[in-house]
Amino acid sequence: MKSSYKEILFVVAGLALAAAGLAMLRLMPQAWGGPLPYLCLGVGTGAFGWGGGELLKQRALKGEPELQKRIDIEANDERNVALANRAKARAYDCMLYVFGALMLSFVLMDVELTAILLLVGAYLLVVGISVYYYVRYDKEM
Amino acid sequence: MESKLSKKEVPVLKNRLEELRKQRGIRQEELAEALEVSRQTIGSLENGRYNPSILLAFKISRYFGLPIEEIFLYEE
Repeated sequence: MKSSYKEILFVVAGLALAAAGLAMLRLMPQAWGGPLPYLCLGVGTGAFGWGGGELLKQRALKGEPELQKRIDIEANDERNVALANRAKARAYDCMLYVFGALMLSFVLMDVELTAILLLVGAYLLVVGISVYYYVRYDKEM
Repeated sequence: MESKLSKKEVPVLKNRLEELRKQRGIRQEELAEALEVSRQTIGSLENGRYNPSILLAFKISRYFGLPIEEIFLYEE
């Protein structure tokens, strides 16, 4: 059977983090002002949701090898993989335009320089990752 | 020399998949299961909307016991 330690860890850590976030908000709102309690709540509930969902999925598929096989085939089907990759490539092209437009808007709106530089940095990082993988795949193929 | 195909056009091979499948009385679901692909992939291959990878083409060729060029037809 597939090990579910990771999922259990996510559920427990998620619950603990969400409880800590709630406790910070309810019991010591003065001491824990700012975004930290909300961050704990958000990350905690997200981790709990993911871990719980995976555990439920594993439980539902237990004793159903046929269903598991069908799910694996759907996930690894070459057409589905090609569709996902093509959609991601198109979304990446669009993202470059959206990021560009956003940067221009920020400049025209006189947004703080730090925010603009962070955005430019993120844009260049994404483009850099794209170039890195192009070169890496070029060597592999 | 400039290609006759525009950028958006992807050349699609013709194939005899549907004909061969029907000759053998196999359903799309059964063929998909044997080849470990989804039924939609078989449908797209038969309609000529999708070109298979070389690995899938070999799997199909082995399944039907025919050479690839007798299943997939390349026309210039």
